[in-house]
Amino acid sequence: MAGAPLYIVLCSGDHEKLQMAAMMASVGAVSERPVHLFVSMNALFAFDGTAAADQRYKGGQFSKLMREKKAPDAIDLLRQGKELGDLSVYACSMALDVAGWSEDRLVEGLFNGALGLTRFLSDAENGQLVVM
Amino acid sequence: MSKRTKIDARGAFCPGPLMEMIAAIKLIEVGDELEVLSSDKGSAADIPEWVKKVGHELVGVTQEDKYWSIVVRKAK
Repeated sequence: MAGAPLYIVLCSGDHEKLQMAAMMASVGAVSERPVHLFVSMNALFAFDGTAAADQRYKGGQFSKLMREKKAPDAIDLLRQGKELGDLSVYACSMALDVAGWSEDRLVEGLFNGALGLTRFLSDAENGQLVVM
Repeated sequence: MSKRTKIDARGAFCPGPLMEMIAAIKLIEVGDELEVLSSDKGSAADIPEWVKKVGHELVGVTQEDKYWSIVVRKAK
């Protein structure tokens, strides 16, 4: 039986938080639990499709360790979560507007589309909400 | 007779071995087995948890010299 849906609001652009959000989203999605990820604020910049992959993540000491040890890439993990499980990824429409981005600017093949916070929060009433 | 497929995920960190195993388990037949080799201690604990959660069967976990062998049977 599917578990209660997990709703993750990802605001931080810190590599460590992006990585944790990607791990939670992908593992949750492949564990028979619907997961919905809402990307906003500084987190949006990590999903810039025009940025070089090695420039994508900004972080601290643990980010450095993850790069050295070649931990799984956060965006690759999210792609796996979508491919193997029940994961939806949305870009915050307000963040896109403020950044002056269209959805075309986002990394390919990951986002289900843009969404407003009101709709996301309304949907999240049926599940567990985590903000990072 | 059931078949066993081996996945060598040594060197990959959590949740890499789990995700590799899930991708592979979709491709095998019910009753067949997967053997995952993982050098990541967390995955050696997490994979059995996932197997229990989604209803497959854990055949066994064996600690080798510098890695773990986790054998899973596809149950559904």
